[in-house]
Amino acid sequence: MIDGYKRLMNIEKPPTPKTAKGFFTDTSLCIGCKACEVACKQWNQLPADGFAMTGNSYDNTGTLGATTWRHVQFIEQAKANGQGQEQRWLMMSDVCKHCANAACLEACPTGALVRTEYGTVYVQQDICNGCGFCVAACPFGVIDRTPKHGHFEAGTAHKCTLCYDRLKDDMTPACAKSCPTASIQFGDVEELRTRARRRLGELQARGESKARLYGMPEGREAEEVGPLHAFFLLLDEPERYNLPAVPRLPRKTMAQRYGWSAAVGVGFALVGALVFGGRR
Amino acid sequence: MDAANFPRQGGGDGGYYNYPVVRRPVWTWEVPAYFWLGGMAAGAYVTAALAQNFGSADDRRVAAGGYYVAAAALVPCAPLLIADLGRPDRFYHMLRIFKPLSPMNLGAWTLTALTPIAFARAASHAASTGLLRGPLGTLARLVPTRLAELAGVVLGLTLAGYSGVLLAATNIPLWAKSKLLGGLFMASGLASGSAAVTLQAAWRGAPDGSLHRLAMVESAASAGEMAILTGYLLQSGKTARPLTSGRLRAPFWLGAVGAGTLLPLLVHRMAGRRQGRPLRILSSAAALCTIAGSLALRWTIFEAGKVSSEDQAASFELSSE
Repeated sequence: MIDGYKRLMNIEKPPTPKTAKGFFTDTSLCIGCKACEVACKQWNQLPADGFAMTGNSYDNTGTLGATTWRHVQFIEQAKANGQGQEQRWLMMSDVCKHCANAACLEACPTGALVRTEYGTVYVQQDICNGCGFCVAACPFGVIDRTPKHGHFEAGTAHKCTLCYDRLKDDMTPACAKSCPTASIQFGDVEELRTRARRRLGELQARGESKARLYGMPEGREAEEVGPLHAFFLLLDEPERYNLPAVPRLPRKTMAQRYGWSAAVGVGFALVGALVFGGRR
Repeated sequence: MDAANFPRQGGGDGGYYNYPVVRRPVWTWEVPAYFWLGGMAAGAYVTAALAQNFGSADDRRVAAGGYYVAAAALVPCAPLLIADLGRPDRFYHMLRIFKPLSPMNLGAWTLTALTPIAFARAASHAASTGLLRGPLGTLARLVPTRLAELAGVVLGLTLAGYSGVLLAATNIPLWAKSKLLGGLFMASGLASGSAAVTLQAAWRGAPDGSLHRLAMVESAASAGEMAILTGYLLQSGKTARPLTSGRLRAPFWLGAVGAGTLLPLLVHRMAGRRQGRPLRILSSAAALCTIAGSLALRWTIFEAGKVSSEDQAASFELSSE
C-alpha cells in the first residue's frame, strides 16, 4: 500500500549526493553584456518578458522572475574627486543563490522543491501545485509563479535550476558557459570559495577597500540562510545590489510565533472554562 | 585615495533603484476569505466544546449550534484553498508528504482532519435532538462525542492559529516583522467563532444567562485581540504604514479595529444588564460586528502585505535587525 501511495504521488528515492556545484559571480569582471541572460533564456526555453524600457541605466530586465533566471544590474555611481565628477558603473549578474538553508524549500508543502545531488535547489515541475508560498518566503525575491493561464508551464513556481539537465551531462550551465569575462564561474563550491578569497585579496591590495564576498560561510549573510551555493564578489555594500544584509530564514522565528498563537488559544480555553463553569 | 568610496545614489534607501527586494505575493482574495472562515469555524467549534464540557444544561443546548456553524463554515474552506492554487488539479499534492515545518502543509493536514470531525460532531448533535433520523442518525449516535470534542479543539486551535504564522513565515515585512501575527489571527478567529455561536443562540431565542456567558467569552477574545493588535502595531513600527496610513487605513481603523473589536465590546457591555428581546438584539448586533471585523482584519493585513512587499526600505530594515 505504501509503495502504491509512493507511486501515485511520485515519491522517489533521492540520488546519491555528489560534490556540491555552484556559481561564483565576480562582479568586478562583469561588463554588462547580458550574454548570460540570453543564454539562460535560450537554453531553458524561457519566453521573452516584453520590451519595456525602464529608464534605469541599461537595465531593461528589472528583476529576476519566473521566466528570468539571470538578471544583469547596472548601478551608476558618481562622486566629486577634485577635478569634477568621477563616475563608475557597477554591474552584477544576479541569480538564484541556492542557499544551504533555503527558505523556499522549507516553505514548500508538496515536496516539489528539493535539494539535488549537486546541492542545488530545484523545483520539480510535475509536483508543484502553484501554492505560491515559496514566492513570499524567499528573502531575495528570486522564485515566482507563472500566470495561471499563461503559455509557459502555467501556474507553477520557477527559478534557476543551475542547469540541472546540463549538470547531468557534465556540462557547464549556460550562463557561465556564455560569460565572456569569467565573471560567472562555475565549479565545485569549495574550490570556488578558495578562488573567491584569493580574488578578494587581489582587489583589496589594489585599493578596492569596499570589495567583499557575499554568501561565504563566515559572512553575516550566512547567519540564517547558510552559505550560498551561488555567491558573489561585490564592490560595494550588499544593499546597493538590492541584497539584504542578513537574509531571513522564516524557520528561525517560527517557534516563537507559534508560541504566541498557542498562548492566546490556551488563554481563551481557560477563560471559556471559567465563564461556563462559574455560572450560578 | 580610496577608489571605492562612492556615496549612495538617489532612491533614498540606497537600494537598487526602487526595485523591491522580495516578490509580491501571488495569493488572491480566496486566501483571506479562507483564513476568516477557517478561524470562525475553529472558534465556533472550540466555544461549543467548552460550553458542552463546562456549561449548564442551557449552555450545552444553546452552544451546540456552534457545531453546525463550524461544519458549515468549513465547507467552503477547501474549495477556496484549491481555487487559489496555480494548479488546482494538483491540490492533493498538499497531502503528498507530511511536513509540519511548512505551515502550509500543516494547515492542509489540519483542515483535512478537522472537517470530518466537525461534521461527525454536528451529525451526532443532530441525531441527539432528533433532527437526524433513520440509518444516518443511528450511525451518527456512534460518534464518540468526548473524543471528537478533544480532537476538534486541538485541531481547531491549530487551524485558527497557523494562518497568521503562515503569513509571518515569509519575508514580507508587514507580515514578518512582528512575532504576534499568529496570536492576532488566533484571537480574531476565536472572537468571530464565539460571535457566530452567540448569533445563532440569540436567533434561536437562548436563555439570558447563556447569552450573557457567550457574550463574556466573545468579549474576552475581542479584548485579547485588541491587546495583541496593539503589540503587533508597536512592534511593526514604520513597517505597518501600508496598513495604518495607506489606502487601507479606513477599512483597517473603522472596520477591523472600530467595528470589529471596540464596538462589539461596547455593545456587549451595554447588553450586560438587559434581558429578553433587547439583549438578543444587542448581542446579535455585536456578534455581527465582530464577524465582519474579523474579515476586515484578515483582508486589510493581507492586502497591506502586498503593498509592503514593494517597500525596499522595510525589507532592508527586516534584514538588518
